[in-house]
Amino acid sequence: MTGLIATASAPAEASGTHAPLAAKSAARPFPSGQRAGWLMVAPTVLFLLVWFAWPVLSMVWLSVSAKVVEGVTVPGLTADNYLRLFQTDLYLRILARTARVAALTCLVAVVLAYPLAIAIARGTPGLARIVTLTILAPLLVNVVVRSYGWQTILNKTGALAWVLKQLGITGMPSLLYTEWAVLIACVHVYLPFMVMPLASAIRRIDRSVEEAARVAGASRFRVFSRVILPLSLPGLAVGSSLVFSLTAAAYVTPQILGGNFSPLLGTLIEQQILTLNDWPFGAAISTLLITMVLASNLVFLRLVNRRFVKWTGIAA
Amino acid sequence: MSDDISPVLKIVVGVLLALVVAPLVVPVLMSVSDTPFITFPPQGFTTEWYGKVLTDPEAQGTFLFSLKLAGVVTLISLILGVPCAAGLVRYDLPGQGLILGLILSPLIVPLIVIGVALLQTFSMLGSRATFAQLVIGHTVVCLPYVIRTVSGSFMLVNRSLEDAASVMGASPLTVARRVIWPQVRPGICAGGIFAFIVSFDDYPISMWLADGRNFPVPLFLHSMIERSFDPSIAAMAALLIFFALLLVLVIEKAFGISLARLIS
Repeated sequence: MTGLIATASAPAEASGTHAPLAAKSAARPFPSGQRAGWLMVAPTVLFLLVWFAWPVLSMVWLSVSAKVVEGVTVPGLTADNYLRLFQTDLYLRILARTARVAALTCLVAVVLAYPLAIAIARGTPGLARIVTLTILAPLLVNVVVRSYGWQTILNKTGALAWVLKQLGITGMPSLLYTEWAVLIACVHVYLPFMVMPLASAIRRIDRSVEEAARVAGASRFRVFSRVILPLSLPGLAVGSSLVFSLTAAAYVTPQILGGNFSPLLGTLIEQQILTLNDWPFGAAISTLLITMVLASNLVFLRLVNRRFVKWTGIAA
Repeated sequence: MSDDISPVLKIVVGVLLALVVAPLVVPVLMSVSDTPFITFPPQGFTTEWYGKVLTDPEAQGTFLFSLKLAGVVTLISLILGVPCAAGLVRYDLPGQGLILGLILSPLIVPLIVIGVALLQTFSMLGSRATFAQLVIGHTVVCLPYVIRTVSGSFMLVNRSLEDAASVMGASPLTVARRVIWPQVRPGICAGGIFAFIVSFDDYPISMWLADGRNFPVPLFLHSMIERSFDPSIAAMAALLIFFALLLVLVIEKAFGISLARLIS
């Protein structure tokens, strides 16, 4: 009892964290002062510096500090790896295909995601739960399995061919190993990353705004195009930047559905490094991929948000 | 509020959900086909392909390997990540923004690039320890998820309860065990499950670092797709789909964590 009183009546110490009741700072699970904080954070920071920051930076450095000439690595500062990437027709085609597939995936995902996101944000709790579960559960299924699933559908003897045959449509070329197959599967794999941010953006929209528009005589489509669409732009920006960067960097899905007929940048990196052993060139493509992803983040998040502020006057 | 959703929209949503599920249902249907090749619609019924996969020593080995790898990765990610999350929430460290940037950037840099960069570093160091390399590579990717989830739960801890317990004479250990732990446990569980799934499903990092003896499930499956044509590959895909369904059930029922919270 005396101990309790002594502790409680001890003079208030300026604890570094949060101690309105001023218990003795030494006797807390989180001691005051920054030292303890550093000790808790340091192992992770060191781990990531050594095994993430250093490897990635040294790879970026490799792309400008060496090149492979006739199978021999020649050190020395050079821009040749990048020049080769931008001057070779084959590589430019792969680069363009990557940007095209990523942009189209994004676009299709937006169109498909809105109905799903509206159902999650505005549907009855039961509907919202079913849609959320059905959209998210596939994320737990390995991406190789999901891509293989599309192979079994798009194959020459697959489910789609059978359905078309039942409908009397024959002679359709098989979609497997085309850019279309890659696009379809990428939309499927990355759709959840568009639906979830959109749904949370739509959920934040005040329902009375929609009701006001409807009362004022706006059709459902007008409510969507003038209220939901502009007010959900921040969610659209997050979703688009996620889907674009994930698709641009995808390896497994394009590999399984596109084969060697429509490779993306990921496949090119793998070929250059594992097959041709051209590390500096592979490093240059990897650096380009990082740049693409960062640029897409910047474009989607900055520009769309600026547009959002202009349209609505709300700071995102 | 049912009138918020028009019937047309409901039909559209139904069709979309069917399309989302289709590539997961079709392999399951094909896996029971009594034919030596994959075909749609499946003909006959047999569980022979499941037997073939389940008794295949290679498939068993790779599954056990993936479990072991994901388990070790989860453990290390939690050991590193939980104190880090607590430290970030409870202390106002100089350069906190920079630290946070470092921790979250493995989510931005493409996985395939992280993998190739690690392979370069490991070969520069002359390392042959494949298992350790895989653990390191996966941990780099799992840490951001763990720290994000766990720091979220530390932010929600009610600090007045801690103060109250301390004032009443509870030792720091008791406060940590009886006051803080119950409040952060769901977040730590969610972070651990997340790390396990991310590691178990990883392809783009493993593809650079794995070798013949350290071969995780996704790589095995991909190599099967490329070299075999009988329905046993569909059976293996189906087994992984059932495994994912089981995970959903465990996460939602046993841990009471909603999938939506875990993923978004």
